[in-house]
Amino acid sequence: MEVASNMMKATPWQTGEICGTDSAKALTKADVLKRDLKKCKKPLLIVGSETRTEKYGKGTMLDYIIELSNAGNIPVIATGGVIKDFLEKGFENAKSVGAMEMAYFLQDPEWKGPHGTGPYDMIYTYGIPYFMQWTLLSSVMNFAPEITPIAIGRHFQPHAKWSCPNLKEKNWHVLLKELVTLVGGGST
Amino acid sequence: MFQPNTLRIGTEQAMKKKVHFKAEEADTGLGRFKGLEVRIGEIVDDEWDESMGPTPMPGPTTLRSWDHKILTKYQPSYMPYCQVCCLCTMGKCDLTGTKRGACGINMKAQQGRIVLAAANIGTAAHLAHSRHLIDHLIDEYGPRTKLIQGPGTEIHAPISRLVTGMRPRTLEDASIIVDYCESQLAHGLSATATGQEGSWLDFESKVFHIGMIDHLALEIADLAQVSTLDMPQADPDAPLVEAGIGNMDPNKATILTIGHNIIPAAAITDYITEKRLGEMVEVGGICCTAWDITRRDPTAKVIGPISWQLRFIRAGMADLVVVDEQCVRTNVVEEAQKVLAPVISTSDKAVMGLPDRSDDPVDSIVEELVTRKIPGAYITDHKKVGEIAVKVALAMKPIRAKKKFLPSKKKIQKMAETCKKCMECVRACPNDQNVQEAVLAAATGNMEPLREIYNNCIGCARCESACPNEYDLHSWMVVAGEQDCANETYMVRTGRGAIQDTEIRKVGQPIVFGEIPGVIAHVGCANYPGGGQDVHDMAEEFAKRRFIIVTSGCAAMSAGIVKDENGESIYQRRSGDFDAGSVVNVGSCVANSHIAGATIKIAAIFAKRNLRGNYAEIADYIYNRVGAVGISWGAMSQKAVAIAAGFWRLGIPVIVGPHGSKYRRMLLGRADKERDWMVYDARTGERMLTAPGPEHLFYAAETVAEANVLTAKLCIRPNDTGKGRSIKLSHYVDLHETNYGFFPEDIWKYIRRDADIPITLKDKILGQMKDNRWKERPTPDPTLLKEQIHGGGQ
Repeated sequence: MEVASNMMKATPWQTGEICGTDSAKALTKADVLKRDLKKCKKPLLIVGSETRTEKYGKGTMLDYIIELSNAGNIPVIATGGVIKDFLEKGFENAKSVGAMEMAYFLQDPEWKGPHGTGPYDMIYTYGIPYFMQWTLLSSVMNFAPEITPIAIGRHFQPHAKWSCPNLKEKNWHVLLKELVTLVGGGST
Repeated sequence: MFQPNTLRIGTEQAMKKKVHFKAEEADTGLGRFKGLEVRIGEIVDDEWDESMGPTPMPGPTTLRSWDHKILTKYQPSYMPYCQVCCLCTMGKCDLTGTKRGACGINMKAQQGRIVLAAANIGTAAHLAHSRHLIDHLIDEYGPRTKLIQGPGTEIHAPISRLVTGMRPRTLEDASIIVDYCESQLAHGLSATATGQEGSWLDFESKVFHIGMIDHLALEIADLAQVSTLDMPQADPDAPLVEAGIGNMDPNKATILTIGHNIIPAAAITDYITEKRLGEMVEVGGICCTAWDITRRDPTAKVIGPISWQLRFIRAGMADLVVVDEQCVRTNVVEEAQKVLAPVISTSDKAVMGLPDRSDDPVDSIVEELVTRKIPGAYITDHKKVGEIAVKVALAMKPIRAKKKFLPSKKKIQKMAETCKKCMECVRACPNDQNVQEAVLAAATGNMEPLREIYNNCIGCARCESACPNEYDLHSWMVVAGEQDCANETYMVRTGRGAIQDTEIRKVGQPIVFGEIPGVIAHVGCANYPGGGQDVHDMAEEFAKRRFIIVTSGCAAMSAGIVKDENGESIYQRRSGDFDAGSVVNVGSCVANSHIAGATIKIAAIFAKRNLRGNYAEIADYIYNRVGAVGISWGAMSQKAVAIAAGFWRLGIPVIVGPHGSKYRRMLLGRADKERDWMVYDARTGERMLTAPGPEHLFYAAETVAEANVLTAKLCIRPNDTGKGRSIKLSHYVDLHETNYGFFPEDIWKYIRRDADIPITLKDKILGQMKDNRWKERPTPDPTLLKEQIHGGGQ
């Protein structure tokens, strides 16, 4: 789905979703995350039901999430039942937790998570329905300030620290590739 | 008319709360009074065989201690929908993170405050509806008209008994209860004012209180209407009625009624019956008015849920639109004007800007509406509405018959070619439907994508509001879905009202012991992420598993709009008895009270607990023993919050669809924290560990898959017998494996002793128990209340 150039402005994807005084910074190049990646040692990927339907290369975003997880050794939380798809692909570093449970558990600074590797200081979110991800990130922004949230979907999520500003699909895929390189310790 | 000498004042069984009521006209032993206002300190109903409980007519903080017990287990998880407060002129205040507003409020309290505001709004809508019904029915039938819930309902009005200690036997009793509700709502609303409540915990307790009041108002409203308006009374064989747009007869003049309050719609069907015009006019309803007119007159039709308002109006099928209250599209007049359909508004809550013609002669109003001198009229005299509606619809039918209101496919194709490809339609769609792609397909003559959107659309029309070309995109969808629209013909069972005591007697024990694995209630609005079929599929999934399925409101319609290979709806396939595997439509929004009422009656009938003014004990019983779960998949309005809150206070979990996350707070348990799952054993007073069940009290599920797994899990209760627990776990495991693709890792937590283990899963579960160093534990007689320990917990 191509997106008109005027959507490069960092405005929420769903136009009525106006939040408050804080808003995410536009994530257009993975390089901008370098400082946060250096600072944060315990990242977590939280991905939702849309992961199985959104195309990426010859596959879907499931393939990308697996690639990203493997590159950075990042544990995955699968919400909304998408765990089944990960398991069918033989991927074992994913655990199932609901999106709304995640919004709650992340508020606990001692939560170790089902992988037992928490507490986490950085989350990447993707593939949870836009408005649900919006509320999950709001919870993190307000009540889990020690966590750096990065929304890696195409559409702008103002409650993250970094979020793609409604990128065109082509540019977004470039960014996703850069991100794999970056979390794997390479340079983009 | 009101006769105060029917109430006896004073003596030993006096109620504690003061009562205040008004009557426009009262015929008393002292004379005839107009504008009478009476205040009574105490009233007595001395025919009770149960004593009054500790909390009749509770105030805002009377049940605070119970609320805090629940809220300690299920703490609010706030997800602010907006970071600022703009409710007073000191603001806007930025509350992000740890900041406080000028009044001192912080983010958590502000979120609790907004939830309370929503619950107040929702309750106000139901309560004002209830008040209107009671006042109208007292005018019509007199204050001493008996309230009858139906055969086999000896425990009459269970919510009223539980909350107020009263059993409303007449409309004037009902009015006293509505007075009480109004006073509590005023307190609840007051708490949201700037400079009042400041604690999130107390805001949440008040949310529960207002939810309880909401249920009470609902019960009174439905009790009053089933008692007086010839609706099914606790009837499991309530008639099957026609539903769906395709069932509307295009050869008849069509009156569309929208809303929740049956009074004006009833006047219309009465007029049609009286004048024998049924062959020429028909009445269809959208939203809860649809249920209530078909409960009263099974020849009326259910057009569909709230989300079908626009598609039906745009299709030009209504010759007249009559709106009452709640869930009415607020630009209904503008929309109806596009299709030359006059509008009659009938409720002071939704006048819609129309001129008040209540006192004018019928013929002059008809003439002005038919000649379109006025787009509509506000008419408060319901009998007049009945006559005018029928006359206008009959007159408009030939005028409108030759008009075409929808664009042709050819015209749509031409317009679609000029699409600016700006994506604003997609960005405006709450369900992210790819409207632009469908428009671009239409430009090539392919209407199929627009048709698919028609089938998923919730009819909000935000897409066309956003369109810079001002295309009527929703109308395009209706054109694309024309054949689907014509095929929408279903048979649905109309609302039966209350559940009979005899039915409860039959299923009470298996529910409490867990052998009927749960009661699942599908309620609420139609803001579905993927169309109404999801509700049907969820209901069918659990009916198949022999859960009891209860439906109401728009969800009850959605459950019925899917046909099987034999062309039958779920209501044709399944019984309307309150029994395992049945699908029981209780009726409209106000009939939701019967769902709560059934759980309350289980405590009274099966456990012989006293209900009168005994809220905390009964809620504790339901929480620990009755595996009930509410699902509001399309939860949308503030009324849904109010209804949900009434269930929360009774300890009944509620699942909402993904849009429910916008209610901005969940009530979630922590299965990993053992201390949260301790109960008292009522036999010994010992504090004992139970399984984390129900795990959550309010949860927005992302997908149907998640909702199904969670539904099965949330039916688990501390009191389940071994057999009951093993049945519940079997369903949970099966749904988990089907939807998530693996054996759930937390089964061991729910095993108390060997008898809890489903036999066919024994090997897997024993392995899990060993890995987690499981230890056997006894099954308590569970309670959260110290005073429920035998001997009073001393």
